[in-house]
Amino acid sequence: MSLTIQHLSLHTGTRTLVDSLDLALEPGEVLGILGANGAGKSTLLTVLAGLAAPAHGRVTLDGQPLDALPPLTRAQHIGLLPQGDEGGFFGSVADFVALGHFPFGGPAPDLATHLATWELADLANRPLDTLSGGERQRARLAQLAVQAPRIALLDEPLTHLDPAHQARLLAWARSEADAGHSVVLTLHDPNWAACHCDRLLFLHGNGRWQLGTPADLLTPDSLEALYGPGTAALWRQNGRAQPV
Amino acid sequence: MAGTLPDDRELAMQILAELRAPRVAAAFACGGLLALAGALMQTLFRNPLAEPYLLGVSGGAGLLALLGMAAGLAWPWVSALAFAGSLLALALAAALGGRLLARDHTPLLLAGVMLAAGFGALIALVLSVTPAERLPGMLFFLMGDLAWTSQPALLWAALLLAVAAALALSRRLDVLQLSPLKAASLGVAVAPTRWALFALAGACTALVVAQAGSIGFVGLMVPHALRKLGFAGHRVLLPVCALAGGSLLVLADALARTVIEPRELPVGVLTALLGVPMMLWLLRKP
Repeated sequence: MSLTIQHLSLHTGTRTLVDSLDLALEPGEVLGILGANGAGKSTLLTVLAGLAAPAHGRVTLDGQPLDALPPLTRAQHIGLLPQGDEGGFFGSVADFVALGHFPFGGPAPDLATHLATWELADLANRPLDTLSGGERQRARLAQLAVQAPRIALLDEPLTHLDPAHQARLLAWARSEADAGHSVVLTLHDPNWAACHCDRLLFLHGNGRWQLGTPADLLTPDSLEALYGPGTAALWRQNGRAQPV
Repeated sequence: MAGTLPDDRELAMQILAELRAPRVAAAFACGGLLALAGALMQTLFRNPLAEPYLLGVSGGAGLLALLGMAAGLAWPWVSALAFAGSLLALALAAALGGRLLARDHTPLLLAGVMLAAGFGALIALVLSVTPAERLPGMLFFLMGDLAWTSQPALLWAALLLAVAAALALSRRLDVLQLSPLKAASLGVAVAPTRWALFALAGACTALVVAQAGSIGFVGLMVPHALRKLGFAGHRVLLPVCALAGGSLLVLADALARTVIEPRELPVGVLTALLGVPMMLWLLRKP
């Protein structure tokens, strides 16, 4: 048992984004969330992280309502990679990455290993604000890896990464799943979704949602329904993508 | 000669014990409190240009203090009015802009900037209708002057308490530099921690303003410079800020008392004169 969502609804203003979603996130799975801009992907991740209350429904972790958990306890199990905003961080890359260990107290163990894994060892002493967008994204990912949550929620983690680092991130997501953790990520490229996700959740932004395997959901028609005209052609052209 | 030496010595000791030492002690505590408040404000607003007076504290204090002076009140009452003015500014900023503090600090920042502008206009109004003979005292208060400080023990107690409170928050403050959403996902209760920061920085500033007027620049420059020099983690940054801010103000006050002896300059003038070149030099660092 892991994170369970029952009858969850999300609204923005008077609009219903997601209506009565039921989902049990399994240990060892990578779940991809796809949807057009503004369909509610980030909002859903925020609710799954226990940082916002849904309009209706409930989210439980191992049977416990998420909002009943103390913040630090919750952070020991669930990690969130929000879309980037580190404008106010004044320290070094190493300081930034080490903050991932905050929920557990004390200094971060294996910091050097995590920095090396995300190719940040040479940048460790640089101020964070001197890094490029892609390097900064790697620092965010390393921070999440230091937190080592058993449920990792990543909002558009491929942003700013070059193709090699995108592939590395998706390989990391798989290795997390292999270790029995659950990974949820929002992404836009159906080819990556086909290759790296065990299940997909389509959010149509009007309350409607679809949950299934990539083989079930990734069809030209369903993509057109999700993203609008033209997207089916994009999928066919890129249908050659292989797992990395 | 031999007969006068003990008297001179006695007088010198008396001056040292009753005038100089308390003033140096007060200067150190004021500088420490201002630098600490500045560091806390920079973390609260995630902006290295934030400073203790950002929320209109000096304006609120200045307005009420000047009204007290215009009415001919004695210093303790003026000091009490300055303290009340600071708290009034903080309360107004919190009431007008604090509703979304868990997610967004911009409304609080805007409310503070607007209040500071409003108080500034009212201060200008009071100055423009005040008889000329009362103006020097008012201007010294507005520029910051340690000649009025009478309670170094109170300031030191506040400094020690504030450093202890800030240290207790220090690990959370490191995380609070991240976006509110990320900080919350790491287990920090963002809204209560931000309000604690607001209250602590506000109390430090209000106390100093009530004792010594609006001494500028220490609260902006000291934490900013220390961050530039590599003090990033709050556990070290905050106590070092208190030490460096205190030292800077002691130095500035010593110069303020001596450069054009026997007259004194407002210490705020010296903090800026010392701080601006130092800051400009630091900005050249890559």
